[in-house]
Amino acid sequence: MLLGVDVGGTFTDAVLAFDGGLVTAKSPTTPEDQSEGVIAAVRAVLEKAGRDAADVAEFSHGMTVATNALLEGRGARTALIATEGFTDLIALGRQTRAELYRLCAAHPAPLVPDDLRFAAPERMVPDGPLRELREQDAAVLAERVAATEPEAIAVVLLHSYRHPEHERLLGELLAKQLPTAHVSLSHEVVGTFREYERAATTEIDAAMSPLLAGYLRRLVDSAREAELPEPAIMQSNGGLIDLEAAAGHAAWTVLSGPAGGAAGAAFVARAAGTPDALCFDMGGTSCDVCVIEDGAVQERGSGEIAGRPLALPMLAIHTVGAGGGSIAWRDAGGALRVGPRSAGADPGPACYGRGGTEPTVTDANLVLGLLASDAPLAGGVELDLDAARDAVGKLADELGLDLLDCAEGIRRVAGAEMIRALRVVTVQRGIDPRRFALLPFGGAGPLHATQIAEELGIDTIVCPRASGVLSAVGLVVSPRRRDVQQSVLLTGEALTADAVSQAVADLGERARNALGEDEARLGATYELRYKGQAFELAISASTEPEPEQLRKAFEAQHEDRYGYSDSEQTLELVTIRVTATLPGADVTLAPSGDDAAVDRGTREATIGGEQVELEVLRGAPPPGTEIEGPAAIDLPESTLIVPAEWSGEVDDTGTIHLQRQ
Amino acid sequence: MIDPVELQVVSGALRAICEEMGAVLIRSAHSANIKERRDASTALFNPGGEMVMQAEHIPVHLGAMPAAVAAVLDEDHADGRAWILNDPYRGGTHLPDITVITPIFAGEELIAFAANRAHHADVGGPTPGSMPADSRTLEDEGVVIEPQVLDEDAIASLSEQMRQPEQRRADLRAQLAAGRVAARRLAELHERVGAEHLAEAFEEVLDYAERRTRACLQELDDGTRTARDVLEARDGDLEIVLEATVDGDELTLDFTGTADQYDGNLNCPMAVTRSACYFAIRVLTDPDIPPSAGAYRPVNVVAPDGCLLNARSPAAVVGGNVETSSRIADVVLKAFGRALGQGTMNNVTIGSEDVVYYETIGGGQCACPDADGPSAVHVAMSNTLNTPIEALELEFPLRMIEYSLRRGTGGTGRFRGGDGVVRELEALAPLSYSLITERRRHAPSGADGGGDGATGRNLLDGEELPAKAIGKLQTGQRLRIETPGGGGYGNPDFAENP
Repeated sequence: MLLGVDVGGTFTDAVLAFDGGLVTAKSPTTPEDQSEGVIAAVRAVLEKAGRDAADVAEFSHGMTVATNALLEGRGARTALIATEGFTDLIALGRQTRAELYRLCAAHPAPLVPDDLRFAAPERMVPDGPLRELREQDAAVLAERVAATEPEAIAVVLLHSYRHPEHERLLGELLAKQLPTAHVSLSHEVVGTFREYERAATTEIDAAMSPLLAGYLRRLVDSAREAELPEPAIMQSNGGLIDLEAAAGHAAWTVLSGPAGGAAGAAFVARAAGTPDALCFDMGGTSCDVCVIEDGAVQERGSGEIAGRPLALPMLAIHTVGAGGGSIAWRDAGGALRVGPRSAGADPGPACYGRGGTEPTVTDANLVLGLLASDAPLAGGVELDLDAARDAVGKLADELGLDLLDCAEGIRRVAGAEMIRALRVVTVQRGIDPRRFALLPFGGAGPLHATQIAEELGIDTIVCPRASGVLSAVGLVVSPRRRDVQQSVLLTGEALTADAVSQAVADLGERARNALGEDEARLGATYELRYKGQAFELAISASTEPEPEQLRKAFEAQHEDRYGYSDSEQTLELVTIRVTATLPGADVTLAPSGDDAAVDRGTREATIGGEQVELEVLRGAPPPGTEIEGPAAIDLPESTLIVPAEWSGEVDDTGTIHLQRQ
Repeated sequence: MIDPVELQVVSGALRAICEEMGAVLIRSAHSANIKERRDASTALFNPGGEMVMQAEHIPVHLGAMPAAVAAVLDEDHADGRAWILNDPYRGGTHLPDITVITPIFAGEELIAFAANRAHHADVGGPTPGSMPADSRTLEDEGVVIEPQVLDEDAIASLSEQMRQPEQRRADLRAQLAAGRVAARRLAELHERVGAEHLAEAFEEVLDYAERRTRACLQELDDGTRTARDVLEARDGDLEIVLEATVDGDELTLDFTGTADQYDGNLNCPMAVTRSACYFAIRVLTDPDIPPSAGAYRPVNVVAPDGCLLNARSPAAVVGGNVETSSRIADVVLKAFGRALGQGTMNNVTIGSEDVVYYETIGGGQCACPDADGPSAVHVAMSNTLNTPIEALELEFPLRMIEYSLRRGTGGTGRFRGGDGVVRELEALAPLSYSLITERRRHAPSGADGGGDGATGRNLLDGEELPAKAIGKLQTGQRLRIETPGGGGYGNPDFAENP
């Protein structure tokens, strides 16, 4: 029996997978100490399934401890050691201002204050040491750092991605001086060139690791008490890692939360037989989108969190601030706008009746009859139609529109924002969205799915039955994985098959060691560019590739993305990333019988300016149920709208498939 | 008639097209200027040449794109026939900025233009990098491209006159590819919404931006404000004089009284002057207003013909685009009571016949009426990324000696100005350098009782160099640039409690 627990903003979801079925339960999230909510959700799901903790073979976990701390700029007391002359690297950033026209908008402040930045008397250049770090100087430095009593130290020396000796020496001496402090060495945590991104990522790793380790210690104690196994932790790259390794490198788990959702969506896409899907997760305040190709979530080599760079592999999830709670308003030029302000969960949309008076996307959906006014939302919120009509009506008057036109307008403008997000992850990267299925989830995703599919020219929608717990499902099925990367910058005659396979072998050994599995499968990704370019393209290839093979694959992708390739130009292999994986569990998505009953009825709604009578199916429709638009499927956690041109049926796993005529 | 919903949907779609055009250009270009520093812009125009939408990459191109389309508007257009130019007196800004204009057709009908502009690493001329500190006429600054058709022959013949022709070819092809992407996307939009509808939507997007700007200008007090400041030319200061008048929902920026054009390179064509004014207006009004030509209909910029800010051919202009533009923005902000940022991009070009390295360096931002100024950032017309030290040292015969905050250089005040930067490089081979910098003699001013930021310094092996300098670096010589701090805001002695 497998257990997955995901901590979300409002609820902590738990999933138990056994005997080819899934049982789910939720419990309120406990922001002070997330582990309390985790244990409560575990108890709830065990009780619902009538099983014992002792039956749980594996326990996997996704959380937002490091994410939240970063968003708040909180961290452990952290010192930074950098090459002399370069201790301000993180404060300097890339010298761009945060916003073009708001001159005093600031980037997040470095996590290490001025008085905890230390200069190392050393200098590596591309060929090796220009100024050797002498052992006695390093020891003096370590003592000075120790005297400030930091909980963590980040060590970032120039060119350490290829010459790590000085960082290693400092690491050893710091471990002696400060045996309880956390030490993050940039060549080990990040391993890639470009000093600012490596430094900022190493700083995050150092400052967050003590916090994360503290949380995980509490969780492991509670788990032991509850007779659960030690949890494995979800990383930003969509793979699990054992708790000890996670606690040692917080930077790897910063995007643990969203990664679970994307992994769950990919699982649904595979199970539904639509391995190419655009994932669209719309909640109350934001919307996450990502691309699933060949059943796997697209990844990228680096990204950003809370305005800070993170130079580590992660699932390529793009977030925009458009959700059900986004507020609609009229701007000074008379245009209808939606967001970026959100009513959030409190007071929430006007229809929640908790004091919100401004119209939101959810209010518009209720006014149009797309959301049912006679049934509470997941979590038991009763909806107040009159309050929604009042709020939307006020805006309609300001804009000189009918109530219903205004409500439709809110949906269209909100949709445009989400379509832009989907275009960023598709057409802007050279991907044609029309060959994908759309996979909507989250509380508000299925409400907007057909509208968005139509705009993007997509004809297929696959909608999971229980989208709220998708993240927890993702945890249960995800592989164990660790990535190790290093910038090698091989070009010209140095770029040989031997050099590459040797580097891959070394990295592979490190990755397997980190995972604690000597037999783990290895995969390799190569970041290549034409010499002189500043961006790399990532190519997957064997662990022993011929340079010609790499060139071919690179040029095909270059052609695809940028419209040209140039066989005359020198190729440069910038970074190698090796992934060690152990496959995830094989779980069946089949619905567990008891909740497969539906009530049928009708309700009036407005779609595209037309009054229509929707056939309503309430509950989780069982496999084989045929669906003919216009219809609304009031799923346990969301509502799927099916306009007249759409129809489909429910597959064996409970997933709803829709096709446009 | 376009309703408030359609307006928002179409303007979002237009913005997405501009962004995609930018993504293609930046990703497929070869020169570091475009890729790493994103010194590029993209925009869409209606068939009448009005700029409907622009992607915001770099403010110095804000108001300068329309002149480029105007320069080719009356040419004979055909599907697939793109245009190229860089002549500052015929639609360009300074020579390294090359603009490519792609007419967009639906069947036989011209429905729009896409334009994109990119700063090339070199456009020929005597100085590697084509950013000479000592140019006296346009000819000294590189190859002047008058508006002409851009085809493979043109790409070949133009590239041959420039350094690293292979890279030039790749960059020009990237610009062409970006235009093609825009054409394809706009044709798709055209098909979706219909011909008439699209034209109407263009008009409404322009009108909408105009309404937004007017609403903001209306909130400013009527009346005339004045401000003056100087540029640090080799042989003395050049004065910029502004009279800014708000009248209801309109604004006039009159630079009458500004110094005449001169035989250095701080001259600006009118397009650059407009860009700088529009930048300041966006800062003073609402940055959320879509960057379309409509936003600037209520703004009248006046600069007498032949003055520094409306120069006539063949005045040299390379420093005008990068430095004078900052000062124009400064005087507008100053007229409205703001403190000033570092006011320079600190242009450093180092190179030889084989390799060219160009960078601009951030410094102290001004303090705002409600916040401290950020340190070590580009403050006005530029917002380009720095080159990573590890990339620089791999590709160029240069070594970084120091890169740090220049502490204490921001102006004092209730809100402090941001600190400048120290960036010191050592030559590992004989190289030439060219520095175009400002605020070495006159400090960025504070406002409302706030202190001035510190002036910047240029040093060669410890010896001070002037604001504009060219020369040789021998192996082992060190060039150290210390960038200015930003001005403070508000008297520090008055606490905010009443």
